[in-house]
Amino acid sequence: MQLQYFLILAAALFCIGIYGLINSRNAVRVLMSIELMLNAVNLNLMAFSNYLDPQTIKGQVFTVFVITIAAAEAAVGLAIVLAIYRNRDTVDMEQFNLLKW
Amino acid sequence: MYQFLVETAWLIPCYALLGALLSILWLPSITRRTGPRPAGYVNTCTTLLAVLHSVALLPLTWHQPPQEFFYPWLQVANLNLTLPVEVSSLTVGALILINGLNLLAQFYAIGYMEMDWGWARFFALLALFEAGLSGLVLCNSLFFSYVILEILTLGTYLLIGFWFNQSLVVTGARDAFLTKRVGDLFLLMGVIALLPLAGTWNFTELAVWAQTAQVDPNVAALIGLALIAGPMGKCAQFPLHLWLDEAMEGPLPSTILRNSVVVASGAWVLVKLQPVLALSPITLTALVVIGATTAIGGTLIAIAQIDTKRALSYLVSAYMGLVFIAVGTQHDEAALLLVLTHAVAIALLVMSVGGVIWNSITQNLTQHGGLWSRRPVSGFSFLVGAAGLIAVPPLGGFWALLQLADGLWDDHQFGLLGVLGLVNGLTAFGLTRVFSLMFGGKPSAMTERSPEIHWPMALPMAVLLGFVLHLPLILQSLSLLPDWVIVNYPVALGLIGSSLLGCSISAFIYLGNVVPKPVKLPSPALQDFLAYDLYTAKLYKISFVLAVDLVSRFTSWCDRYVVDGIVNLVGISSIFGGEGLKYSTSGQSQFYALTILVGLSCLGVWLGWPFLSHLSLSAIATTGP
Repeated sequence: MQLQYFLILAAALFCIGIYGLINSRNAVRVLMSIELMLNAVNLNLMAFSNYLDPQTIKGQVFTVFVITIAAAEAAVGLAIVLAIYRNRDTVDMEQFNLLKW
Repeated sequence: MYQFLVETAWLIPCYALLGALLSILWLPSITRRTGPRPAGYVNTCTTLLAVLHSVALLPLTWHQPPQEFFYPWLQVANLNLTLPVEVSSLTVGALILINGLNLLAQFYAIGYMEMDWGWARFFALLALFEAGLSGLVLCNSLFFSYVILEILTLGTYLLIGFWFNQSLVVTGARDAFLTKRVGDLFLLMGVIALLPLAGTWNFTELAVWAQTAQVDPNVAALIGLALIAGPMGKCAQFPLHLWLDEAMEGPLPSTILRNSVVVASGAWVLVKLQPVLALSPITLTALVVIGATTAIGGTLIAIAQIDTKRALSYLVSAYMGLVFIAVGTQHDEAALLLVLTHAVAIALLVMSVGGVIWNSITQNLTQHGGLWSRRPVSGFSFLVGAAGLIAVPPLGGFWALLQLADGLWDDHQFGLLGVLGLVNGLTAFGLTRVFSLMFGGKPSAMTERSPEIHWPMALPMAVLLGFVLHLPLILQSLSLLPDWVIVNYPVALGLIGSSLLGCSISAFIYLGNVVPKPVKLPSPALQDFLAYDLYTAKLYKISFVLAVDLVSRFTSWCDRYVVDGIVNLVGISSIFGGEGLKYSTSGQSQFYALTILVGLSCLGVWLGWPFLSHLSLSAIATTGP
């Protein structure tokens, strides 16, 4: 049963991503954590397509799309980070708490 | 024509009401230029009209059966409220007494209220009383009697509170209203409880019902006690007597009426209710006990007063106590005769002292003195009034007291006979004391130059004086008095003896020089106890007033803090909820992400619970590779 090990690894990677997502102070590291999570998803998709759908491999197609979207998202994310950095001279997430209560 | 006069007997209260309405025209805020005097004249005229009407009725109703007229008032569902008007020689006699005394009092007030601007208000209220009392004696229904008694309670409040810029007047009016109100409310309980039993509020039908009624003795006693509570407050009986003392703060002409007829309104209802009260021996005993206590207490307190008006007001309580005894021992005729003779005599007494107060200013008996030589008319009026009140033959009071004493003798109620003699003696003592302090002795600084009163006050006093003197003749011509032959001589002599004893001891003390003035009792505590009216005011203050005050403070506190608090707590907790929960919007996008994840995982656990619950660590272990 190889599938479970893949899935557990992917879940661990996803959780590491979550931890990074909500704990990082650096905005770029938040984007990196998001990449980690997306890659964990990709791992899942690949594992499923390999073990459950070896004929039509729809999961691999999904993965290609996710990689593409992730690249675009990372680009836009970095653009946003740069735009904030220009205004506030920092990428510390703790400094971005202006829109509170 | 004759029948027309009888059928329009209901107009008699209306004359006075018309006068009351017309008086409003001369309120200082309406007639601003010409003064209020016409209000008094108009009311005197309407009263005169009422007197003429009632006097004309007397020969028409004499030796005739009572005529009753019914005027429908309200019909709802099964309740049929009809106002019965009874025209009999008794009610007509009462009408003459009420309207006649009113006429004299209003005439007196024209003289007394010379320097006062409030005639419109004063005469309107006097007329209200006249109308109320006339209506009370005419209506033959317990329910409507109660209605009128309540209106008169309000009238008392307004009339005592006439000079409302004086603080004692305000408290006096308050006490008079509340004390009488309490009695009236108990009366209302009795009135309402009587309807399911008797099925009627008509006094005549009540008497018929009471003859054959089979009522549970406890129920009869409770109803009877409630029914006497109303007259108890009205007649200023112990322990509801403080109001009459404080009512002496009101204008003196109204005091004439209050002391003579207004307090008798309770006695009237009591006499009318006598057949119902007789259903329960407990009620009758209570009546006698209340009456005897008040009679003895009232006379003792009256002797210890230094205020002229109060020295007379406690005698009113005492004489109403005698009426209570008469009703309690079922001597209705004696009770009515007592009310009649007491009314004219006490009215004369109040008029007399009112004249002295009017131009000697002070009401303090210890500052009066030596007026006999210069105020013979007032002095003589006082003497005749006093003689008419106590048992001095041949005046009216003697016959009333004799009739009561005679009845008690026949019933072998020798204890009550002793009470009667004692009250008579003490009253004689008290009245002689007032006379001696006021008219005897040497003039004091306050009475050094005291002229006799002017004619508008002297005339009604003289007319009433004549009436008191002629009362036995009038009664005899109406054959209401017993013959000299059948008079019970031991009883009569006993009453006369007690009067003589009281008068002579009092005269010896206050006119002679043997006893030093001011007179001191061996026990100053007892003297203060009587002079301060058995400390009734303090007694009220530490019992009922305190209890009601505490309870109302507590309920007010509960209302303010508990009831309001619970509702406010809801609002406050919503506000604090909002104020506190807004901090969940932290402004940290990472925190939002966490919230989303937590929410999603919770949702996942919830939705997947049926599957997850079957899962166990051991199952995972066994299905492992």
